[in-house]
Amino acid sequence: MATIDRSLYRIVGLTILAFLVFGLMAEGPGPALAGFLRLQTAPSRLLTDFAAVAGPGAAMFNAGVVGSLGLFYLRLHKIRLSGPTLAAVFIMAGFGLFGKTLLNCIPILLGVELAAKVAGKPPSGYVLIGMFGTSLGPMVSFLAFETGLPPFAAFALSIAGGIAAGLLLPALGIAMLHLHQGYVLYNIGLTAGFLALFAAGIIEAAGGKLPLSWELYEGHDVFMTWLVPALAAGLIIAAYALGKGKTLRDFLAVQKLSGRLPSDFIELVSLPGTLLNMGVVGLIGYVYVRAIGGTVSGPILGALITMMGFAAFGKTVRNILPVMAGALIATLVFGMDPASADALMIILFCTGLAPLAGEFGPGVGMVAGFLHFVMADRTALWHGGMALYNNGFAAGLTAALIVAVIEWYRSSRID
Amino acid sequence: MKHKDVIVHLISEVSRYILEGDPGKMVISLHREADGIHLCVLDDRARSEGEMEAVARSLNASSRPELAGYYGTMAGHDLLGQARLNLVGWQIKHAEVERTPEGGAMLNLWIGGEAFDDSKFTMPKGKNGSG
Repeated sequence: MATIDRSLYRIVGLTILAFLVFGLMAEGPGPALAGFLRLQTAPSRLLTDFAAVAGPGAAMFNAGVVGSLGLFYLRLHKIRLSGPTLAAVFIMAGFGLFGKTLLNCIPILLGVELAAKVAGKPPSGYVLIGMFGTSLGPMVSFLAFETGLPPFAAFALSIAGGIAAGLLLPALGIAMLHLHQGYVLYNIGLTAGFLALFAAGIIEAAGGKLPLSWELYEGHDVFMTWLVPALAAGLIIAAYALGKGKTLRDFLAVQKLSGRLPSDFIELVSLPGTLLNMGVVGLIGYVYVRAIGGTVSGPILGALITMMGFAAFGKTVRNILPVMAGALIATLVFGMDPASADALMIILFCTGLAPLAGEFGPGVGMVAGFLHFVMADRTALWHGGMALYNNGFAAGLTAALIVAVIEWYRSSRID
Repeated sequence: MKHKDVIVHLISEVSRYILEGDPGKMVISLHREADGIHLCVLDDRARSEGEMEAVARSLNASSRPELAGYYGTMAGHDLLGQARLNLVGWQIKHAEVERTPEGGAMLNLWIGGEAFDDSKFTMPKGKNGSG
């Protein structure tokens, strides 16, 4: 176990280091650090590509810093790295490219710590809820920098808002699990989206406006473009180096799992099999983006990093392909350009529904992907872009529908 | 009884596992002390050595506080799909799995909080703490 822990810390550490180093190299350290500071006070609701706001270097550096916060938070609570915590660190880093900053994540983490105290539970029990809950970071940034209030009042309001959100996340997150029974991987996406509906309602009732923005990096930064293939290659090499000849066998064993929450592939199978799965899943996403003619912007890179993280905690080659196919079919049926950033994000993030394909077959997976497409395009408007895991929200709603139907059908047929 | 809702869900998940095997008999017994419970669930279904080991491994899953407090709440609650004994394993002190004289399986689970006193139970010494 200690060997696995050491290996994982090296892998995650190198990943975060890659973000930081690539960030400093992309445009030089000066612009990267100046841009990083600018991002801390920038609006961050969907869809704000930090690479467009402050340059690709600053965006990648910010992602590395936010990923480091996640790693630090785990160490603080003495939680070892594993499938779910890998997913949590990777999603924090990935969304550090388009929405998460140190300033907007910390109040939410504090709120979740407070929730643990109120519930009489050790804070370690809610670590994952806190890390995934940083999805609501844009709400904290909005309260701090977009309300027009005097700075001190806005700052106090943002801290209070973040802590309040964190306080509510455990209760809602646990309730939401039962809605989809673990068949969507982005449970906190559903939870945060639900909570953000109320936040958006309160803000708009108080006279605030929440127009969605669309700020996307349209350059071709070489570091952003090649980060995922480099990371995937590193994971595959590490998988074979650690596998002692059993890597492929373990990778195939991972493919047999449904991926339903909570499927810690490292615990259920092995670290080498999981690392190979992460590398291959990342490459599938990356090759799809490039083949269809898409650009690796901040959100697309974030989506690919998230896919790789969750390939340790639910996503396999076998279960992601049907949902991606269903979403792709939907883009073609409804006439959306499949190479557009919008379509690409939906197709990459719809893989949160992979457990449905893993458990109930590719047909159900394709239906899930198709339905997810029609939902994802609408849900961001409902919460004003304040919940970063918008696709998670849409996927959660989709899974709740499908699971309810399947459960009713199965229970109706029991003698 | 403290935390009865937690106990109900753990019993529910273990019962679901037993019932998935379509047994002819299932017996559940519970012995309670001040801050702990010994739960015993047995059936009459024959199992292979591999299956017995897999059950013991799942119920003695290593302590995962980050999972127990969150995903562990799915135990005995979300019944679509197969029973998942590791959800139980994260939340208990220790488990022993043995064969009954009739050829079935007996699952002994020890559940408790911080003040759990293993001297009050028949739990094997040195096993307090799960995993």
